[in-house]
Amino acid sequence: MVTTHDPCRQRASLRKTIVVLILSIFAQATGNVFLSMKMKEIGNNNWSTFFAQAVDSPTVWFGTALLIIGFIFFAAALSWADLSFVVPAVSAEVVVNVLFANYFLDEVVSLTRWTGVLFISLGVILVLRSERQRVNRESKEIPTSGGR
Amino acid sequence: MKTAILIAMIVLADSAGDVFLTKGMRQVGKISALNPRAILTIGGRVISNRSFLSGIFFMAITFVSFLIVLSWADLSLVFPAKSLVYVLSTLGAKFFLDETVTFQRWTGIVLVCLGVALTSLP
Repeated sequence: MVTTHDPCRQRASLRKTIVVLILSIFAQATGNVFLSMKMKEIGNNNWSTFFAQAVDSPTVWFGTALLIIGFIFFAAALSWADLSFVVPAVSAEVVVNVLFANYFLDEVVSLTRWTGVLFISLGVILVLRSERQRVNRESKEIPTSGGR
Repeated sequence: MKTAILIAMIVLADSAGDVFLTKGMRQVGKISALNPRAILTIGGRVISNRSFLSGIFFMAITFVSFLIVLSWADLSLVFPAKSLVYVLSTLGAKFFLDETVTFQRWTGIVLVCLGVALTSLP
């Protein structure tokens, strides 16, 4: 894999990764809300009509479309960023999902789950810091010639 | 029990998907251009990449299991449990994609894992 060692470009690339991942997270979280809403309405009492009903529902299609859009952003980020950065960074989506489930689906979120949300947020902050330090370290290692 | 089995299947398939997907995307190359023609060319290369397609196959398994389990379980339970995949995928990144995972990054991932365990409790 070819890596650019231009510090400006590396920082810009980290910014780009973060923006793309935020778009991915929100598309997926919104998609999940729509899917959960409809799938629960359908239920699983009758297996013969279960898939037919799911395929027939515009809500399911819309939710699926949002998941696909989120996935395209995710895959695009993977073409230039580390999987070990992208994957934990995307765990912020759990936080967004719990918030959305609480707000839009009226699911009860206990104190334990809120504590979990806090832990995940701290973890994501650490992972972000580790990536920023890596970018800084790599740009220091390479003597810059005529930076912008 | 039914829920646990489906969640285990989701986690395994999802992290295998992540590793194959990354492999494929790296073979295709960095996506930087935003003009339609470049996107079409890259898109074509992406969909004909074997690693990428294997990734998609695993993701499809993940998605179908996810839909099925959502029909009886709460999203705010399934989603946090499903995110155990973040730990497994990082191991995959380390061993199959030769990525360096620093101490700080592991700490972050362990925190995420703990958070995930907590959010999975009622």
